[in-house]
Amino acid sequence: MSGDHAVPDPAVSLERLRAAVALALREHIDVVDPLARLCQACVQLLPVDGASVSLMTGTDQRETIYASDAVVDHIETLQFSLGEGPCFEAFTTGRPVLVTDLAADAATAWPVFAAQMADRPVGAIFAFPLVHGAARVGAMDLYRTRPGWLTPPELAIALQVADIAAAALIGPPAAGPGAEIDEEWLASLPFHREHVHQATGMLIAEHRVPAGQALALLRGYAFATGRLVDEVAADLVNRRLHPREIAQ
Amino acid sequence: MTDTSSVATAREARMVAAFVEMADTLVADYDVVDVLHRLVEHTVALLDAAAAGLLLADQRGSLQVLASSTEAVRLLELFQVQANEGPCLDAYRTGERILADDLSTVDRRWPSFAPKALQQGFASVHAVPLRLRGEVIGALNLFGSHTGRLSTADLLVAQALADTATIGILQERAIRRGEVLTEQLQTALNSRVIIEQAKGVLSHAGDLDMDLTFEVLRDYARHHSARLSDVAAQLANATLDPRTVLTHHSRQRHSAPPH
Repeated sequence: MSGDHAVPDPAVSLERLRAAVALALREHIDVVDPLARLCQACVQLLPVDGASVSLMTGTDQRETIYASDAVVDHIETLQFSLGEGPCFEAFTTGRPVLVTDLAADAATAWPVFAAQMADRPVGAIFAFPLVHGAARVGAMDLYRTRPGWLTPPELAIALQVADIAAAALIGPPAAGPGAEIDEEWLASLPFHREHVHQATGMLIAEHRVPAGQALALLRGYAFATGRLVDEVAADLVNRRLHPREIAQ
Repeated sequence: MTDTSSVATAREARMVAAFVEMADTLVADYDVVDVLHRLVEHTVALLDAAAAGLLLADQRGSLQVLASSTEAVRLLELFQVQANEGPCLDAYRTGERILADDLSTVDRRWPSFAPKALQQGFASVHAVPLRLRGEVIGALNLFGSHTGRLSTADLLVAQALADTATIGILQERAIRRGEVLTEQLQTALNSRVIIEQAKGVLSHAGDLDMDLTFEVLRDYARHHSARLSDVAAQLANATLDPRTVLTHHSRQRHSAPPH
């Protein structure tokens, strides 16, 4: 359904999405249902026809968690089997890859992918990395049957949805009575102050774990002690708390 | 007379050197965060400013501090973002230069910011918007330790530095594609997060004060002609041993007392 989308108030829609994803995270053990809601929201909020979220731990380890239709599922499967494509590039470079005219743009960048996509009803692909600093967890792919750009406000929405997806994928499973914290987590990840990132770095150095896991440790500790991630991070940075206290 | 002109010549030479250095950086494979840090340093060196900071809006519309010449200015910029008032925010919102030549007279305009800035020892602020094709993407802010406004010539230099920052953020790729700042902004902002994570790694591994870690990181990157955010990413994903960076640092300044 690309085309005549009237987006009433993106802020309200995103707020609802955060609440829905937080609720789904609490009710389900895995992230499939929360990410399914998220992909469906993309199709409703943006002039795109399908959305998918893939989890990646490296370019050789990846799994499509949810694809909203067969076309986007094919896009993912094809990229994974070829080892090339916009979603791969978004993941490896850590920046959004916006292919506004697949037929024209993809041939030089990803010739094999482009050739295999030629007979599919895909005009544009917008791939967003799911990242938080050095933590790279996957990619979100949106496609549209017709070529064309997303407008700046639409891109802003897509980026915020990608933030929610990244936050949902980073951190321990949130089943249980983590109500308020989950929503706060989904809303605040990109806005955390420096000391949260610095504290993450301290945990990387102490426990020799990747950034995503370090952030998960920080979050898990805050949750277990009933404190805010921000507060725990400030204690670490100001040396009131030793990183070793935050056990794995 | 001779004194004034030799000072002017020296300043001019420094300005040329600064712009040449920025131009050199921008044609190579450069790092946005590093470029912006060099830029605030040049701003302080070239203009009559005690300190400088650079704010950038992300596509969600929230402002982030991307570079600052001192820790005090970084905190002051953050304060403006949190208090939702101040000359830098006004420059961003209006797209106009905001000149506060005497902070002691503007506490009605900025009731939270003005006293805070005065308390930090600043007496004036000049905020220059970063503009791109009608869109404002951030602001370059100059903090002065005495009252008074910059000369017209200095303001032009400030605007040129701000424009250089805009070009640096955009990168050649986006200009060529004639679109979308988003990718560049996202990358720059995420680089900032990676750098903070790397600072945490260095601070803990080297038992080093957090405020000193940026310099350690940057010196290492410059000495190895590596991109600042690449070195930061290697530290944050543990492919570079923090001890390598820390050892380099202590070798560089082995005469300094241990922290």
